[in-house]
Amino acid sequence: MARNVEPLAIHASRSTKRGTRVAAVLKNYPPFQIARWGLPAAAFATLATLAAIDLSGCKKEEGIIVYRVSKAAPETTASGSAAPEAPEASAMPSMSAPGDQSAQAVAPATADQPAQVTGSAPADWLPQPLSAMRQASYVVKGDNGASADISLVILDGPAGGTLDNVNRWLSQLGQAGMDQDKLSKTAQHVAAPLGDVTLVDLEGLPSGGDATKDGRIVGGIVTTADRTVFFKMHGNAALTESQKVPFIQWVASVRLDPSAAAAAAPAAAQSAAIPPAIAPSGNNAQIQWQVPDGWKSAPATSMRYATFNTSGQTGAAADVSVVMLDGEGGGDLQNVNRWRGQLGLDPVTDEDLKSLVVPVKAKDGGLLTVDMSGPTSRLLAGWTRVDGKSWFFKLTGPESAAGAEKEKFIKFLESIQFHP
Amino acid sequence: MKENLRQCFDFISSLKLTIFLLAASLVLVFAGTIAQVHLGVDEVQKQYFQSMWVWCPVGSQGLRIPIYPGGHLLGAILLVNLVSAHLRRFRWTWRKLGIHFIHAGLVIMLAGGLFTDLFSVESYTRLGPGEAKNYSEDSRKTELAVIDESNKDYDQVTAIPDAILRKGGTIEHASLPFRIVVGHFYDNSQVTMMDQPGAGQPAATQGIGAQVSVSPLPVAASQESDNVVSAVIEIVPQPQPGEATAMPLGSWLVSEALGAPQQFAYGGRTWRLELRPRRYYTPYTLTLQKFTHQRYAGTDIAKNYASLVTLIDPSRSENRDVLIYMNHPLRYRGETFYQSGFDKNDTATILQSVHNPTFLAPYVACAIVGAGLLLQFALQYGGFSRRHKSAPASC
Repeated sequence: MARNVEPLAIHASRSTKRGTRVAAVLKNYPPFQIARWGLPAAAFATLATLAAIDLSGCKKEEGIIVYRVSKAAPETTASGSAAPEAPEASAMPSMSAPGDQSAQAVAPATADQPAQVTGSAPADWLPQPLSAMRQASYVVKGDNGASADISLVILDGPAGGTLDNVNRWLSQLGQAGMDQDKLSKTAQHVAAPLGDVTLVDLEGLPSGGDATKDGRIVGGIVTTADRTVFFKMHGNAALTESQKVPFIQWVASVRLDPSAAAAAAPAAAQSAAIPPAIAPSGNNAQIQWQVPDGWKSAPATSMRYATFNTSGQTGAAADVSVVMLDGEGGGDLQNVNRWRGQLGLDPVTDEDLKSLVVPVKAKDGGLLTVDMSGPTSRLLAGWTRVDGKSWFFKLTGPESAAGAEKEKFIKFLESIQFHP
Repeated sequence: MKENLRQCFDFISSLKLTIFLLAASLVLVFAGTIAQVHLGVDEVQKQYFQSMWVWCPVGSQGLRIPIYPGGHLLGAILLVNLVSAHLRRFRWTWRKLGIHFIHAGLVIMLAGGLFTDLFSVESYTRLGPGEAKNYSEDSRKTELAVIDESNKDYDQVTAIPDAILRKGGTIEHASLPFRIVVGHFYDNSQVTMMDQPGAGQPAATQGIGAQVSVSPLPVAASQESDNVVSAVIEIVPQPQPGEATAMPLGSWLVSEALGAPQQFAYGGRTWRLELRPRRYYTPYTLTLQKFTHQRYAGTDIAKNYASLVTLIDPSRSENRDVLIYMNHPLRYRGETFYQSGFDKNDTATILQSVHNPTFLAPYVACAIVGAGLLLQFALQYGGFSRRHKSAPASC
């Protein structure tokens, strides 16, 4: 009997001693402390939150919120119609101007790398409000209430590939998808500045569809190195047929800005100037400039024709704005004194102003500039009046940032061309 | 004193208390389920489970007495009990490792349940064929949207939640060049045209409100009953310097029963007033391409609901079709879209959108508890196996 018990006792004793030694070693180590106190700490935090929320009732307190919603209709497909505006969007895309076979510039679309687009749209295409998704948007009207929607959308990357997107368009028409072979046989190709555009012409009316604005899609897809560009005309079958040739001509005319075009067509990247732009208000003003390296374009607003953000080596950022006003836009002295007021400086007289102003020669005209420093910030401004409009270019920011950007700002002014 | 503390600690860490709390929770769930018949799911959630106590009204003076611990209180005591038991019995040995895992999992589960209760938001997106929306709507909350529609590109919306309207009084906000005075707020109401029998005084002086009367109704509890929220508001310009008050522009009725928003002009701008379900906007759009409702052959019993939607997110270059059906929700940017229902003769879909920052907590908790159970079982089995091998075979 004793022989039977002994091995068990020995085993238990060794195990206990080993366990004691392990416990003795471990108990001073952080994981042990975490295991012991982690749970109570987590529970305490939970209870404290519970008490705070239950006592204050803060969950039920909801405040007034303010946001903006685009008037454009929500996007129904990536290349189908207008896109939604997120409520946090503080600046809206600019409107495209009435198309009259003229080059157009429209608002950026992709979030991290805006794309400017130019193209020759037929005069009877009615420009529509743009959205975060659409870089061009038109509606064309036909007889008996027929209409077709035309859009241009740019997405980063392959965006699903050509076949999948064509099949999605087919599903919108209530048609079965096709395979790669059939696509290869039916697709046409259009040589365009953006590259080889794969063009498809799809027909079909989905169940319950409205034949006045549905029944046919003529779509084009071109994939560049880092983006996919979608052209799409979706509408009444007969109207879409009649607009097919103008649509292809438009597709063949569309160009992106240099930063976007660099990926698509190396030749297009040789020009560093932003294409001619049309003022958000629909004025036919055209202007070109050279954007200095390091300046990042931001969406235009109802007040600003263009906005750039700078971020120099010091880390401080400066804000560059371009504002266009009809008429004189106020007198020079009034504007300079308004800016001085913003800087916390005393106003100057007409005599003093002459010593402050430094002329700068642009490509086809001259601008007047001032450089003023206040207690906390510095302002560089240039202005001129061309064709009954006043243009104001302003850089503001902390002393260090504005000083570091001054040379670029002057070069920016010198690059401006009002009549390209 | 020390003995009292020890007794107190013994009590809150006792297994008996755990059993009592679990039994009390069962009773609470049972009572809450029964109460849903009269109060509705939302009210029961608030009164029974999202409260420290279940209160019972006494008399007609608005007096209430607590009659039973609510979900938050039971959960909190259970958490204290669990942690106390952990502290009391904590021993660092490998043999207890599984137990520690189980306790940690339970704490995560309880805490996760609490945070879900506090921070999750449920809303619904109703989509017709081909319809696109970049917002969902809260079926339990309303808001007064004061919309400045003077800009040609966008509407600026000032959304005032119903909680503020319910308090009444004067509402001022920097985005509004006028003040809003809430005259009446009705959680449920009936709107009657003035030429109909039973109509009372005109509800307001401007807009459609001058042609209808509004009367309060008891709040409907059941899920099927839709309350018609209404309010009568007055627009009062900001007083000029030296002026104590300004003449109001008039009063307007805003109601979910009205088919069209109310409009007025002020300060050279056009304003729109809409009382609507609270909206939660998203930076992406969902478009219904197709809704499918399959039934079992020969019956009206649903076999499957499915919504084919296109998800478009310009900020992330997302552009894809997604099929949402039962047990296969769409999870995107912190939201989960479940197939919830259908409408309009099977052509429209209703998607439930749940925003729950702690939705992973139950999964993590279950995984930890499961791992703890397995570990504890393995350790016990190992010990048992060793003892079994060491024991002499009985003759």
